[in-house]
Amino acid sequence: MGPADRSEQRATQDEQALVRRLQAGEDAAFEELVRQNAARLLAVARRMLRSEEDARDALQEAFLQAFRGIQKFAGDARLSTWLHRIVVNASLMKLRTRSRKPELPLDELLPRFLEDGHRSDPGPAWRTDGPDPVESRELRTLVRANIDRLPDIYRNVLLLRDIEGLSTEETAGMLDIKVDTVKVRLHRARQALRTLLHPHFAGEAR
Amino acid sequence: MSARSLTCRELIDFLAAYLDAELPPAEHAAFEAHLAICPDCVDYLASYRETIRLGKQALAAETLRPEDVPGELIDAILAARPRR
Repeated sequence: MGPADRSEQRATQDEQALVRRLQAGEDAAFEELVRQNAARLLAVARRMLRSEEDARDALQEAFLQAFRGIQKFAGDARLSTWLHRIVVNASLMKLRTRSRKPELPLDELLPRFLEDGHRSDPGPAWRTDGPDPVESRELRTLVRANIDRLPDIYRNVLLLRDIEGLSTEETAGMLDIKVDTVKVRLHRARQALRTLLHPHFAGEAR
Repeated sequence: MSARSLTCRELIDFLAAYLDAELPPAEHAAFEAHLAICPDCVDYLASYRETIRLGKQALAAETLRPEDVPGELIDAILAARPRR
């Protein structure tokens, strides 16, 4: 067993001990759980909700659900993964209760084709030379703002799959849609985001 | 087995499956055969990949340190814990 395995084993043992203390109702264990995870989980809720107030509400709701559910936590997932899924779900619930913003017609952001199947307006290739674009805060803000322009049903799939790292099956379960629908929406979301970013990354226009 | 030829439209439809290595062997071969002769699709694939990477990195950069979480929020969470 290598050092990485040993440290992984140690983390698992620490986590099992924490779960036992939580299940025994130990006050200090709850505080430890919250202090260890709040920052990471609040960042997830912020990414999904883009509102500090909503993100805080979702975080509170998520911890409440975690406190209620800890007796049933069986340890078949990591505690951190279990908490992550709870906060993603609480954020989705919050999104559903919000008034919907006017949405971009997504079809207009998909590639267009000629009758022979060629793209009608391929446009210039993206520049990939120069400094790493995501090093720049300005460009990160630009990417973020364009993700937020996507209609919610597409944005949610993109966030869950590409950003939060859920599998296709988990995303389908979380959104209560079919696996094939997840795949179609993810592909369309990426294509639309690509179209929105195209003017900023194509050819000399940077 | 003769490789079927794909149009650009079909290639773009298959992109996500290609990147997830979910294409059956015949479609995978047809996909790569098309890429070998179509610079527009090579560019599209590159920009699609770059879009995924940019999205991941833009959002992954939004992290918080424990001290960024307001103390009153931690207190409110702990106060809401149901007691047995």
